[in-house]
Amino acid sequence: MIEVEQLSKAYGSTVAISDVSFKVEPGEILGFLGPNGAGKTTTMRILAGYLPATSGTARIANHEVHSNSMAVRQNIGYLPETPPLYPEMTVEAFLYFVARIKGLPIGDRDRQVTSAMERCNLSEKKNVLIRKLSKGFRQRVGIAQAIVHDPPVIILDEPTVGLDPKQIIDVRNLIKSLAGEHTIILSTHILPEVSMTCDRISIINSGRIVATDTPENLTARLAGQLGYAIEVAGNPEQAQAVLKKLNQVESIKALSTEGLAENHHRFQVMAATEQDPGSAIAWAVVNANLGLYELSRNRVSLEDVFINLTTEEPAVETSEPSSSDNDEESPTPATPSDATADTPSTEEETPSDSDE
Amino acid sequence: MNSITTIISNILAIYRRELQSYFASPLAYGIATIFWLLAGFLLVILVFGPQGLLAQSAFADQAGLQSAPLDLPYEFTQFYLGLLGSLAMFILPALSMGLYTEERKQGTLELLATSPITNWAVALGKLLGVVTFFFTMVLPLLVLEALIVGSSDPPFDLSLLFLGHGGLMLLAAGVLSLGMFISSLTESTVLAAILTFALVLVLFVIEGVASNIPGPTGEAISHLSLLKHYNDFTQGVFDISGLILFLSYTALGLFLTAQSIEAFRFQRN
Repeated sequence: MIEVEQLSKAYGSTVAISDVSFKVEPGEILGFLGPNGAGKTTTMRILAGYLPATSGTARIANHEVHSNSMAVRQNIGYLPETPPLYPEMTVEAFLYFVARIKGLPIGDRDRQVTSAMERCNLSEKKNVLIRKLSKGFRQRVGIAQAIVHDPPVIILDEPTVGLDPKQIIDVRNLIKSLAGEHTIILSTHILPEVSMTCDRISIINSGRIVATDTPENLTARLAGQLGYAIEVAGNPEQAQAVLKKLNQVESIKALSTEGLAENHHRFQVMAATEQDPGSAIAWAVVNANLGLYELSRNRVSLEDVFINLTTEEPAVETSEPSSSDNDEESPTPATPSDATADTPSTEEETPSDSDE
Repeated sequence: MNSITTIISNILAIYRRELQSYFASPLAYGIATIFWLLAGFLLVILVFGPQGLLAQSAFADQAGLQSAPLDLPYEFTQFYLGLLGSLAMFILPALSMGLYTEERKQGTLELLATSPITNWAVALGKLLGVVTFFFTMVLPLLVLEALIVGSSDPPFDLSLLFLGHGGLMLLAAGVLSLGMFISSLTESTVLAAILTFALVLVLFVIEGVASNIPGPTGEAISHLSLLKHYNDFTQGVFDISGLILFLSYTALGLFLTAQSIEAFRFQRN
């Protein structure tokens, strides 16, 4: 239903997206996940025919989005990043207006407008001026205008921004109820959103697609792998060398030493697939006369996958991809070092900054 | 044809929404109020003021100049509609300034640009909306005019008034259309108003500039003047070239608006 092939877009010399390709099958919900500024909105705008791509093609219902824009427009409902609303209109008048410009036949308008208002829980606000609505209601009017003409393809750019937790659940249920009859692509930077609503996820970072798969597969990709956070006292090079010798260990990265006692170092160790190097690590460290202060196993969540895929050089400091405005809804994506706070620590001296 | 009904229905949808937003806008009422106050004030001054038509007529009577009676209907339409035209020059940019700048600010341009509706239909619907609003702004003034016309003896030649008001609407359509184009270029409402006012000013006074340019160039430039052609209408002269000029400005504004929105969609960086 939606086919995107090697789509690229540059604003002057700034590359917004490059070589983006994915497909959405009919009736499917694809989540477009990425940190802020990753190119989600640009991709959405190109799909809606609002922006031309610099190169590559995107097809919706077998029509190229730019060269055959009118045909595509008849097939899509689009919620832009900021809901496009006329503040001086009432909710109902606005939806009738949208129904008209979307070319809905006169006979269908009453039914469709009523149904869109019901689905978005707007019926009681239908005679209220949009100017007087709260942000959450405006967002819902934005969603209503995207579905009022019952389009085969629905493009939603950050549909749950500005909603309270209950409204978020309502909107997710609404989106799920639209699947099947409609093909949906939604963008978000909120992890639980995609894992709960989407059939498949495309993760985009710095304008590039880094992974496309089902939430389960994405988790499983790393879930077969165990991770250990370890804190030792002594020479860090020696510690790394000792750990590298172990067969069960696939990779080691040094973590921040902030908040640790002098000469203490922390590492994140990833186990080889289907291996559990826990006791081997303990033995190796102790035998090398390094002080072992913490050894804790961490589980891999979708958040770790996200961090893992969207962090350029997955080492040193792992705090930059957490976006500033996802605090209301999702927990700040846990960094590997933070993950130790979830598991019972073997030592009393856990870093104090891992609580929040 | 189905496609033609779709286009008309689209234009009507935009037209109705545009008109609705003017009637719901405090700013539009403010502009209308200023327009009514000034127009009413000017009308009173023109007729009853110390230099007004009545005073002039009385003076002519007293001086015994019966041989050259004042042509009141002519004087009235020419001066009053001339004043309305000058007033419109200030008012019209304020009406057209928000046509596209507001769409951009509200993000609704993104809705229009991704709906199955052409830029032409949007521009035409908007223009019809704002011209209709200006028309309704002029309507209450007709009551004042009717009072004057009704008490005129000998009876007024109504065709003169119709022609004059027709000219005013044509002038308004041309100015609003160009103003719409300017508002499609920027996100700033104030900037759109200032630029439109500057353009209208140039088009009003261009005749004076042209008179200093000798030869056919000056002649050609003077034809672009809004004032020159508008004055023809108010004097009761129906000049086809004036009609064509105003319609050309209107069409040019529409064309440029549709093009600028299309260009905006193509290269946005």
